[in-house]
Amino acid sequence: MTRALVVTGGGGVGKTTVSAALAVAASRAGLRTLVVTVDPAKRLASALGIALTSEPSPHPEEPQLWAAMLDATASWREVARRHADPEVTERLVDNEFFVAATSHFPASQSYAAAEQAATYLDARAWDLVIVDTPPASGGIDFFTAPAQMADLVGGRLLRWLTGARLPGRRFLFNRTAKPMLRLADQVMGANLLERIAEFLMDLRTTYDGVAKRARQIERHMRTASTLVVTTSEPAPLREAVRFFRALPEVASPPAAVVFNRALPETWIGAQAPPGSDVNLAENLERWAAESFRQRTARREFGERYETSIATIPWQSHPPTDRDALAAMVESAQGLPPLW
Amino acid sequence: MSGKGGVGKSAVAAAHAVAAKRAGRRVLAIDMANSGSLGAHLGEPDLTFAPRMVGEGLEAMTLDRADALIEYLRVQIGVPAVATIGPAARAFDALASTAPAIREVVSMGKVLWEVKKGEWDLVVADAPPTGQIGSYLRSARTVRQLVAAGRILDQVEWMEQLLADPSRSELVLVTLLEELPVLETVETIDWVRDEGLVGRLTVIANRVLPPLGAEIPAGEGPIVEAASLHHELWSEQQEWAAQFHTDRSLPYLFGTHTPAEVAEQLADILEDGP
Repeated sequence: MTRALVVTGGGGVGKTTVSAALAVAASRAGLRTLVVTVDPAKRLASALGIALTSEPSPHPEEPQLWAAMLDATASWREVARRHADPEVTERLVDNEFFVAATSHFPASQSYAAAEQAATYLDARAWDLVIVDTPPASGGIDFFTAPAQMADLVGGRLLRWLTGARLPGRRFLFNRTAKPMLRLADQVMGANLLERIAEFLMDLRTTYDGVAKRARQIERHMRTASTLVVTTSEPAPLREAVRFFRALPEVASPPAAVVFNRALPETWIGAQAPPGSDVNLAENLERWAAESFRQRTARREFGERYETSIATIPWQSHPPTDRDALAAMVESAQGLPPLW
Repeated sequence: MSGKGGVGKSAVAAAHAVAAKRAGRRVLAIDMANSGSLGAHLGEPDLTFAPRMVGEGLEAMTLDRADALIEYLRVQIGVPAVATIGPAARAFDALASTAPAIREVVSMGKVLWEVKKGEWDLVVADAPPTGQIGSYLRSARTVRQLVAAGRILDQVEWMEQLLADPSRSELVLVTLLEELPVLETVETIDWVRDEGLVGRLTVIANRVLPPLGAEIPAGEGPIVEAASLHHELWSEQQEWAAQFHTDRSLPYLFGTHTPAEVAEQLADILEDGP
């Protein structure tokens, strides 16, 4: 059976690096592992040593490691292709609103990621699939996107535009009865809503397929293990808290909250040896204060949310190769067994 | 104010608002992403759409999209029938998911309207991160290209002009001197310049470390570890700093501070000049 590990967290916390590090460690522990990353830094991609495309590629030197990159646009075209008639698909993918909806829909990137991850889980080709989630909403979007997507395609907007449950084209032209449409025409000019509605009717033909797929994806997501990555900075911590509050409704509780870039606790209260350079003594004092702040934030989080806390030491240089990535996981403290 | 997620953009935005307030200017701070972060840095975590006084001469608000739409339709487009707008606001999220630039043009419209109406000396907008800022800055232009007629067309014209006027508007990009934030900032600068959407562009490097001021000592123990960590981080920052131009730097604040203290301390530094 393929197990899924979904790695969530706010932007800038090193989530992608942690996902890649876990993948290297898992593959070296003997699991056939696929890591799906979002927009990795060039340096991380080269550290991983795999050319990242939307197709999973095996690593030339690590026999158990595969990697793929999320490509939201490609994934959306795939959704349309899978669930619509060929003729409708063609109209859809060229449509200005399709491009807009797929790039502006808040859950769009997350849906594409969830759909792609589900495809890999269905393939049963790996023991472990590690998914690095898009940073929006601390990862919650990733779990709620399938339902939101079904809602969009299912025509919440279309129903509002036409007032009909299963609208046909004729409803569109019955607009004089709808004060909202008249108002919209005044504000945005005639035809805009009509053009949108036509697009939505095409999109709606994919509803049955998308709704069914959304339910499958949600099942996968509910059984996946989750991991929250954060740092001790206030903004990422707020994201982690937000995730915690929303998580029970959509997924399993996180296996751990990983505090990345943790400074050594041995610095707290450390004294500079007598006769030390004054700049060096001050430097130690500053970083000891940082380490203390971090430890306080971790403890408060652990007590308040009753969860296991893991730490990964602050790396002065980002990992430059797979050994360094694997070392990151080895240096982690408090990490529960994830596979 | 924009920047990659996690670079401290809200703190820097709050600091600018606080510094301007201290200089006796009438300031409005707007949390465009409704993230709660700006409010925390201004000591008022629960901001509302109606501006709240958070200090002498400083008010702050958050952009609730439904409220923003209602106000936009009423004040800017001149739609009188407020009674019909309730359902519209509810359906707005759905519409905004599909029609490009509608959500963004309403948010930008509110911010620029506060600039245009002249009640403030400074309006500081804590904007969405650089990954999304393009659709906001482009929204007026996108709407102009998409909508052939209608009252919204007059609105987007003045919005575009105001945004492009260097004496009225400025885009401030906050970054860290690290790989991803720098690359994203450079990319943003490039397209903003190419498209000529914004009249003035400023880059602020946040959390910049001071030089160690000593050689890393031999031996071991915390003092050596802290010195080598600091030196390596500082060297890394210097490397990125050498590769692109920043207009000013704000220092790394060590130790425990509340969000409000962070904003006050950064404001102290802003007041001291570049």
